Amino acid sequence: MKRAGAGVERALFWALALAAFAAAAAGLLWRAVDREATKYDVGRSAYAIVRVIAPEGPEGVSQAAAVLRSAPHVDSAAPMTAGRAAALLGLGDTADVPALRLIEIELAFAPPGADVAGDIIAALAQGGVTAEVVGAPSDSGSASIAGRIRRLAFWGAVGFGLIMALVISFSARGLAGRRREMVTVMTDLGATSAQAAGRVADEAAMLGLFAGAAGCALAGALGMVAILLATPEASLEALPRLIRPLDVSPLAAVPLGAAIAAGIGARTAALSFHERAAKLG
Amino acid sequence: MVRPNPADLELFRRGILARLTMVDAGYGPATILVGVEFEARLGEVSLVTGPAAAGKTTFMHLLRLALPIHAGRAVILGEDVARASPKIRALVKRRIGYVAENPVFIEHWTAFENIAMPLQLAGKRSTDYGEDVRELVEFVGLGEAADLAIGKLSGAERRRAAIARALAGKPDLILADDPTAGMSPTDGRRIVRLLAEMRRVNAGVVIASQDETLADCAPLNHWRMDRGHLSLVSEEAEHADLEAYE
Repeated sequence: MKRAGAGVERALFWALALAAFAAAAAGLLWRAVDREATKYDVGRSAYAIVRVIAPEGPEGVSQAAAVLRSAPHVDSAAPMTAGRAAALLGLGDTADVPALRLIEIELAFAPPGADVAGDIIAALAQGGVTAEVVGAPSDSGSASIAGRIRRLAFWGAVGFGLIMALVISFSARGLAGRRREMVTVMTDLGATSAQAAGRVADEAAMLGLFAGAAGCALAGALGMVAILLATPEASLEALPRLIRPLDVSPLAAVPLGAAIAAGIGARTAALSFHERAAKLG
Repeated sequence: MVRPNPADLELFRRGILARLTMVDAGYGPATILVGVEFEARLGEVSLVTGPAAAGKTTFMHLLRLALPIHAGRAVILGEDVARASPKIRALVKRRIGYVAENPVFIEHWTAFENIAMPLQLAGKRSTDYGEDVRELVEFVGLGEAADLAIGKLSGAERRRAAIARALAGKPDLILADDPTAGMSPTDGRRIVRLLAEMRRVNAGVVIASQDETLADCAPLNHWRMDRGHLSLVSEEAEHADLEAYE
């Protein structure tokens, strides 16, 4: 079947593809923000500080660090230097920092219900060290900020996706407008509103699906380039390992959403054309 | 859903395709047709003539269920038009072949595809109707032009395509609004004879035209429309033989 005015339809296709690209890019951005926030959360929860109470002095800190290196749940342990403390506190001069009896530790993954702090304190006590485990600095506050950012990114992507769906839906009405003569002819020949609108909606949905796929392919390609540029350990071979199934969910959802939005927009317009064509008076 | 009236169905079974009784109709609140009394029967041809703006096209719109009636009763193909649901109206429309004064087509489709549209709507496959449509194309004299995009056809060819499309669904009632417009008198008479032939295939035909001389080119009932009023001028001679008009 010949397609006259293919130029206009090609323009419409790329308009839909662009909207789908924007929606997919927003979805991928949400995934990137979500992963970074998760990484931040994990980093925070895998970090703690041990304050050595006894024995006092640098010897006590060295002894505690040695015990911690073989303690349960501990991946690594390093006494906090004056320079590190000044950096954390935002101080320019280490002279302002008093002698510290603190040890930074990185925690291994602990099973749910494990008393991480209790096990570490017990191990230190067995090694002759009295100490307390302090949580990560401003732990709850930073976690809630990460959570808020994740939620904001998710709902932002959903909101943007809905706006793009509206754009696609309104653009698809343009396609229905170009099919008005078909609706009129079908109505004159006795097509029901469902038949006439369904035919136009099917065409718009297919256009939306293909345009959505094109937009997603573009967004996916750009996303991969962004990962390769932004992640030091990333390589083409490592990409399948770095990308999780959830990360590509926007790329799967957008073509389907574009098809539905285009179908609904075209159907609504075609129904109104049918109504007008069915009754002249 | 409104149930069909058995009396209306009986009318159709008796071969009365359309019966209008004191019908007023028009566009919106404006009444164009006033007190129209009309009957179209199976195997008969009705010619409605009248000057421009007399209401002929409005009358055709009324018969093809595109206009609401303001008063009176219209029973078309066994359905009371005023009581029929949109779905029933659509189903009745499928049994009406309509040739518009300015036929509307899907311009980027070929003439063949446009002609086959009523069959597509009826759910038939192209493998089933291809040969029938090709025969119809030859019957109306469209020939090779059927494979061109309809937008590339001349006015006369478009009219032939419209006639072929109107006949494709084997309708019970064929309506042709000024089918000879823009044609030479000879071609016009040929088209009217071609449409009149359709009465032989279990259909009734209603033709609207400004050309009064068409009344003698086939055996038909001649009606005249004047300022929205319809009157019967002459009835078809009984057992009239179409060949006699050739």
